Amino acid sequence: MIRFEPRTERDGLWTAASFAMAVVAGLAVSALLLASTGADVGQVFAALVQGAAGSPKALATTLVKATPIILTGLATVIAFRAQLWSIGQEGQVFAGAMGGYLGGQVLAGMPPLLFFPGVLAFGMAAGMALGWLAAQLRNRFGVNEIISTVMLNYLVIYLLSWLLQGGPWGENGATISYQQSPMLPEDAFLPALFGSNRLHAGVLLPFLAAALCAVVISRTPLGYEIRGLGYNPEALRHKGVNIARTVTIVMMASGALAALAGATELFGVAHRLRADNLVGLGYAGIIVGMIGGLRPLGTVVAGLFFGGLASGAVYMRVLGDVPASLVPAIQGITLFFFLCAGVLARYRVVRVAFQ
Amino acid sequence: MNQLFQEAIIVSILAATIRTMTPLLFSAMGELITQRAGIWNMGVEGTMLTGSFAAYIAATTTGSLWLAVLAAIVAGALMGAIIAFMTATLRVDHFIAGLGLNLLAGGLTLYWFQSYIQGRAQPTFSGFQDVAIPLLSDISVIGPILFSQRALTYVALLTVPLVWFLLYRSRYGLELRCLGENPKALDVKGLSVTARQFAAVMIGSALTGLGGGFLMLGFSDRFLADFTAGRGWIVIVALIAGNWKPKGVLVAVIAFAFLESLATHLQVLGAPVPHQLLLALPYLASIGLLMGVRFRSGQPTRLGIPYKRE
Repeated sequence: MIRFEPRTERDGLWTAASFAMAVVAGLAVSALLLASTGADVGQVFAALVQGAAGSPKALATTLVKATPIILTGLATVIAFRAQLWSIGQEGQVFAGAMGGYLGGQVLAGMPPLLFFPGVLAFGMAAGMALGWLAAQLRNRFGVNEIISTVMLNYLVIYLLSWLLQGGPWGENGATISYQQSPMLPEDAFLPALFGSNRLHAGVLLPFLAAALCAVVISRTPLGYEIRGLGYNPEALRHKGVNIARTVTIVMMASGALAALAGATELFGVAHRLRADNLVGLGYAGIIVGMIGGLRPLGTVVAGLFFGGLASGAVYMRVLGDVPASLVPAIQGITLFFFLCAGVLARYRVVRVAFQ
Repeated sequence: MNQLFQEAIIVSILAATIRTMTPLLFSAMGELITQRAGIWNMGVEGTMLTGSFAAYIAATTTGSLWLAVLAAIVAGALMGAIIAFMTATLRVDHFIAGLGLNLLAGGLTLYWFQSYIQGRAQPTFSGFQDVAIPLLSDISVIGPILFSQRALTYVALLTVPLVWFLLYRSRYGLELRCLGENPKALDVKGLSVTARQFAAVMIGSALTGLGGGFLMLGFSDRFLADFTAGRGWIVIVALIAGNWKPKGVLVAVIAFAFLESLATHLQVLGAPVPHQLLLALPYLASIGLLMGVRFRSGQPTRLGIPYKRE
């Protein structure tokens, strides 16, 4: 017989072993899932690895796919560390793309050094506005932020749908089934890195943002308040911290990060405003942030892993007939085992003799 | 003539309200059982989605709508088992467990769905038809609204007094409410808190899954990505607005259903507003409703707090 006993202090090795088991279990269940639909498991995994890291082109795609989900992952980290369960990242990604598109129209013709920071700022401002709104609903009206952000997500998605179909931003002559804006002019594409037309300059942003988040969380008064809000908001209040103000700042910062993902997708990848390439980036970010242990560095690692998976899925689609939605399925499964591993890490397994 | 037309529209809106209410009501009663047991289950959306998906697969493979109903119930109970395992056994934060379940359900159903329809035209089924109750359905105005509905709609309306009876007039209900108010009392008596929470969440989630199943079988003929479109969250809003009481939840659910059917009717009648604005109404109303809700006396004291023996 074995028994689980709570640990009094964390053991690094056991924690690592717990999460390693979670990865193995996640892969095993993903293999079962593939087998359940009759796919050739070995072939699919080989294709995924090949498509994620098999060539420079594959690596570039991995980076591009990882970029938005690391950013939404960081948005999750900032909010969840403060125990603010915002799931507004999905809508904030849309808002970031919409704000960026508006910025692109306002700033058209500016030199690139002003244009790109300008449009990204427009996008981030839109995400911050959404974060501000959810924070006000919580602070002033006591509306639970999970529910308000879900509702705001739907509102933003309908707003984009209206802007592109019936509203001012639709492509001329667009039919109902084809909701998108006209193509951006080529000088509004984010510049390419290393002469590769896949790798846009925006792939640097998540790494900068992660470094910034890490410094803010662990080295600044704001970071102290964020962590304090997570551990013990009552103690923080007694210290004289304005909780409502901290909540607002956290929600706005989280919104800005998620919106940045939407803006980089618009100017770096899609080059036109449309919903399909934005759907799910916010939810993927929640998974990435949680699997990354709500730490910036962990989020970068998890984001690169799932970016690789997404890139591998593109390659896999070319080869065989496994649907691309394998990626969110594997994400969901892995998240589940990581949540279990997080609990397991706090326990010690003891063998007890039968009585 | 004009008056007849107006009357027909009002009857149609109200009849649609009752129909639209059905899936929300099943799921809300299920979530009410779950939350009264102290589990803040945020996985309603994922549970409903899985129920819809299971119903779709069962209906298109077996052709039997009642087997599809059963599939939705079983799928819901399974989702409930996952939530119960995470929250009651592992004591993971309830919000995180629920969000995780939604993401898991979204990913799995979409993958299975796309594999299911790969390389062929999407199979469809013909769903439930209205059952007119003899005599009663002939009454003018009230007949078509209340007595000419899908069979499961009558069942859904019955769940409200049933859940009320279960909660307030049965021994099991007393224990269940105790789980949400003071689980220690049960523990001290030597009754297992975990086992009871497991049972409550699985039964509640089975009802929630049935709601998702009816959404499929009563309104659609095929599955789509994000099929439930936020209804699971509206259920949670209805619970808060209804102050965790069966009757209050019923009123809140009817209000949402009315709004939704009003929006679809306005759209069909060609109201001069963008249809996206009409579709957004329930979500706007949710935010507005939560801003206005000031009383939370019915919220179980230990809602969302994992029980730990000290």
